[in-house]
Amino acid sequence: MLLKTVLTRLATTVVTLFGVAVVVFTLVRVAPGNPIAMMLPPGATEEDIANLTRLYGFDKSLPEQFVIWLGGVLQGDFGTSITLRQPVMELVLGRLPATLELSFMALVIAVALGGTIAVIGARKRGTGTEVGLDLTNGAVLSVPDFLWGLIFVLLFGVLWPVLSISGRVDPRLDIDFTTNFYVIEGLLRGRLDVVGSTLSHMLMPAMSLALPLAAMIAQLLKQSLKEVLHLDYTTLARVRGFSETAVILREALRNAALPTLTLIGVQFTFLIGGTVIVERIFAYEGLGNMAIDAVINRDLPLIQGIVILFAALFIVINLLVDLSYTLLNPRLRHG
Amino acid sequence: MSSLHAHTLDVIKLNIALPNGHRLLRNVSLTLEPGEVRALVGESGAGKSMIGKSVLGILPPNVAITEGEILLEGQHLNMMTPPTRRKIVAQSAALIPQDPLTALNPVRKIGPQIIDPLVRIQGWNAREAETRALDLLDRVHIRDPKRVMQSYPHELSGGMRQRVLIAAAFAPSPRLIVADEPTTALDVTVQKQILRLIRELQQETGTAVLFVTHDMGVVAKISQKVTVLFAGKVMEDAPTREVFTNPQHPYTRALIAATPSYADLERPFSPVPASLIADLHAQIAQDDLLYRGGRI
Ligand SMILES: Nc1ncnc2c1ncn2[C@@H]1O[C@H](COP(=O)(O)OP(=O)(O)OP(=O)(O)O)[C@@H](O)[C@H]1O
Ligand SMILES: [Mg+2]
Repeated sequence: MLLKTVLTRLATTVVTLFGVAVVVFTLVRVAPGNPIAMMLPPGATEEDIANLTRLYGFDKSLPEQFVIWLGGVLQGDFGTSITLRQPVMELVLGRLPATLELSFMALVIAVALGGTIAVIGARKRGTGTEVGLDLTNGAVLSVPDFLWGLIFVLLFGVLWPVLSISGRVDPRLDIDFTTNFYVIEGLLRGRLDVVGSTLSHMLMPAMSLALPLAAMIAQLLKQSLKEVLHLDYTTLARVRGFSETAVILREALRNAALPTLTLIGVQFTFLIGGTVIVERIFAYEGLGNMAIDAVINRDLPLIQGIVILFAALFIVINLLVDLSYTLLNPRLRHG
Repeated sequence: MSSLHAHTLDVIKLNIALPNGHRLLRNVSLTLEPGEVRALVGESGAGKSMIGKSVLGILPPNVAITEGEILLEGQHLNMMTPPTRRKIVAQSAALIPQDPLTALNPVRKIGPQIIDPLVRIQGWNAREAETRALDLLDRVHIRDPKRVMQSYPHELSGGMRQRVLIAAAFAPSPRLIVADEPTTALDVTVQKQILRLIRELQQETGTAVLFVTHDMGVVAKISQKVTVLFAGKVMEDAPTREVFTNPQHPYTRALIAATPSYADLERPFSPVPASLIADLHAQIAQDDLLYRGGRI
């Protein structure tokens, strides 16, 4: 039973990734703009261009190019970046930790903030506090992540400059880490200076990404909590002496969490999508920022690598969300 | 004062109402002595559950007590702050709910649902609480208590779940149990078993029970006293035997006549006459006018 599920899952993953590969490979090639012409200095001759085109294999037919590229990919070789002249795999994996740490920090902020507001709203249901929270949520939700980014830059970078608005870490710090997971490795190595500097650089971009999701979580979770809170087993818990807050946290939360979990699963992939622009705003050295450069420079191998990696990331996230359903709901555990 | 202390529950001239002034309970008074079972009968909407909820402090948010007293073991509940009240109620009273399908948390195992309140609210240690839970599951005739403690509610039948809920209600040794139509949601055959079980445990433990039902047959089987309720007003309050042998109020007589009799299957079944209901409503409307007139 379990084996069958895993195999089905694996098969769909392969098919999905292949589909993504075909689409992105075709799209970047039919889109206007010649990558070779862009990398040569203005005085280059037709012959120079032809030579380089041949070198990168752009003279072959599209299916031929695809087969060659796919052959490389299957051996772990995503080609070489045209602009940066380094293996795509190396570049992408070097930037991935920055984006992962940023996305997870945003997710943690969104869940903590949204969850807290939902619990307070459910606790104060039917009062002015609930109305106030609802209105605030609505307002927060109507501002997209990149606008929050700009607002934060203006507030805490310009008007009241307390936070750094650019980069991932203080460049003066001496960082000789083996990975680019500055927060995690910093914690493991006890380099709190690196951790602190990275977190303070991440705070504003992470908040920008987190706020809209936090508002969504707050609204949906509060609604689900309110529905659960007039079910009989919560009433029984009150009779048994549990306070309203204890009833919400102990009895209602797990039952109410399922719809919110689905929301988070879907929205987290959007959030990672949002890193592309937000990283740009804060000059944060992540995958998204690199993606924009790659598109501007028509760096086809790099674009392909980044897109495939994002797709794989989305698939993994969906898998994790499905797994957590099973953990939350005992009825799904059997059969 | 000392005579009040002897009672497990005193409800004195209780009035509850909606925000628009609509009255749901009208000067309801009733008393439960230790170890006594009092049936609360009346048709659907009479306010039976509202009495239980008032006592346990779980009235819906839009319903408020407007007048009257509730004394649980001599303590004035409606003069307490909500946290104190919650503690007092949890220490002296428990609820057996109507629908066992919705009264257990679907994502938590049975064991913790019985044990948690004992540990976190009653202050027992974990070992004592577990022993107590196993003992009670055994006493409600659950065959494999250890396994049931490890089960989720969806793995048990409706009857089994109601047994679990009865065990949970008796676990902290309450002096009062409110049983709100505890058999209505069950199969007829299971109903009888559950009724017998509640009576059995009640007699063993000497717990007073406020037993809500609309079935006069059940009243006869389980209670010593009866309160007959109509539209939130007490029609009759008497020992069960007297209510059946010599009912005082016409509504009580109509209710008895409306119940198919087990003893006398020949007796024709007759619904409560509409003219009587109209009369009662007219009286109550007049009461309400006087009640408001008296207050303004
Ligand atoms: N949340 C609520 N808001 C407003 N009115 C309510 C609410 N709950 C119950 N009522 C009304 O209060 C009255 C008494 O309800 P209650 O539940 O006590 O009746 P009952 O005698 O227990 O009936 P049943 O046998 O159907 O359980 C009914 O008329 C009902 O419509
Ligand atoms: Mg009821």
